Amino acid sequence: MARWRERLRAFLFPPDADLWLGLLRIGLGLQVLLYTLSLRADWNYLFAGPGEGLIGRALPEALLSTDSPLIPRLGWIVTLAARTGLSESTALSIAWWVLLVAGGCLVAGIFSRASAILAWFVHLCAAESGGFISYGVDNFMTIGLFYLILSPLPDRYSLDQLWRKLPPKNPHLLGFFRRVLQVHLCLIYFFGGLAKCLGSGWWDGSNLWRALIQAPFNLIAPEILIRLKYLFPVGGIVICLLEISYPVFIWDRKTRGIWLAAICAMHVAIGLTMGMYLFAFVMIVLNVAAFGPEFSFRLERTPACSKNGLASTG
Amino acid sequence: MWRQLRIYLAWIGLHFLLIITISCRDIVWLVAHKVTILPSSFRIGAERVEPIAAGALGNKLSASNPFRRALLTYLHIAGIDRGYGYFAPNVPAGYKLVFELHYPDGRVEYELPGVNSAAAGLRVATLLDEIGRTRSDPLREYIIKTLAASVGREHPGVKTVRAVFGSLNLPSPAEFERGKRESYDFLYAYDFSRAEGPAKAGNP
Repeated sequence: MARWRERLRAFLFPPDADLWLGLLRIGLGLQVLLYTLSLRADWNYLFAGPGEGLIGRALPEALLSTDSPLIPRLGWIVTLAARTGLSESTALSIAWWVLLVAGGCLVAGIFSRASAILAWFVHLCAAESGGFISYGVDNFMTIGLFYLILSPLPDRYSLDQLWRKLPPKNPHLLGFFRRVLQVHLCLIYFFGGLAKCLGSGWWDGSNLWRALIQAPFNLIAPEILIRLKYLFPVGGIVICLLEISYPVFIWDRKTRGIWLAAICAMHVAIGLTMGMYLFAFVMIVLNVAAFGPEFSFRLERTPACSKNGLASTG
Repeated sequence: MWRQLRIYLAWIGLHFLLIITISCRDIVWLVAHKVTILPSSFRIGAERVEPIAAGALGNKLSASNPFRRALLTYLHIAGIDRGYGYFAPNVPAGYKLVFELHYPDGRVEYELPGVNSAAAGLRVATLLDEIGRTRSDPLREYIIKTLAASVGREHPGVKTVRAVFGSLNLPSPAEFERGKRESYDFLYAYDFSRAEGPAKAGNP
């Protein structure tokens, strides 16, 4: 029993450097910037109140309240702004600017934790108030930003660290949060792959064809795609196997590089062929932060175990 | 130190238990609703497991139950409130919504729900999927009415707006080679006059 406990502890709290955290912070900062800029022209239209905009926030926020009144939403920001005499439109614009600035600060590493909390909060408000117009990218951004705010920021590549010369973070805590991200990614791909394996269309390739020819994902003309029809069954099976076997092969050092490259290539392909650039980017960021530091630049070695263990949390 | 470690262990244990429960619930739902390649004998087992998974996530508790509220709040703020079966088990049919704008002089124009950017366009597609998937007629009507109102605001002279909602039929590669192209099946139509609700609703 004690041996198992020790093994579990060694697995969950391995000493680690903070390169992965730097990658996650910069990657998610870029993601937040791209997300914000991509919705610049539609922000107020998508998230306006009743009687304005596309569908308004009223219904999604009402449904959210039945789940829990404590889930963040844009209505909170609008109500708060209204008390200071600001209009809804101004409040939404302020939220957009806050998100943009928070993304920029994350990239640079200025006020890292405060920026991460702001980015997480405002994005979560938009994702939840969006309700019917939210999709996978919002889910993964929330996951990434949630782990980022819990992780021991700032990392040594941030301007915060450069200016404030803070003591180094506990390597066991750094390892723990990286492990959380790694295990979560394994669960994401395993269950995603399992669900795909249960559909006939991934085995005969018809799902790839259907995904690529229907609007708004139809960036490539079907007349071109039809020439590749023999590749669709192979592609479908490869995606299923790649995802469902991710938790096995990503851990083994011999196959980690291949699986990481293949998964990233899959997301690049999704981004380029289906126009889901933001979705592709956030998935690559999460993967590279979780499993990439060993392959990136070889900037540093894993630090020695902290003698003080968790008690020396920075 | 050991106390701190135990707190982290308890959190990560609960966190991953929730993720696994939600993912399993989604998989079981797929099996129970016979949308997978598994034989129908699996359905009976899935139907038994489905309420257990739902119960574990507090779905059977009243909406005002503090435990349920706390759990749902955590799921939402951590981004783990849904599973990961994107484009699974099969890629669903897309949907299309077309607005017929009728002007007082008898003129008719056609309009699609539009946004300014491709990124927002992906979100409109998600919205159309939601309209197509929902089994709630009032919800569907409310969303389409709101969308019609947004189109009406951009065309101040319009007298009535007819919203036609259809599902997309995609050809297989073999059918595409034989010349078949995408087509639409009519699902619902709603007529809205300015400053009022639907004049009448038609179903297939």
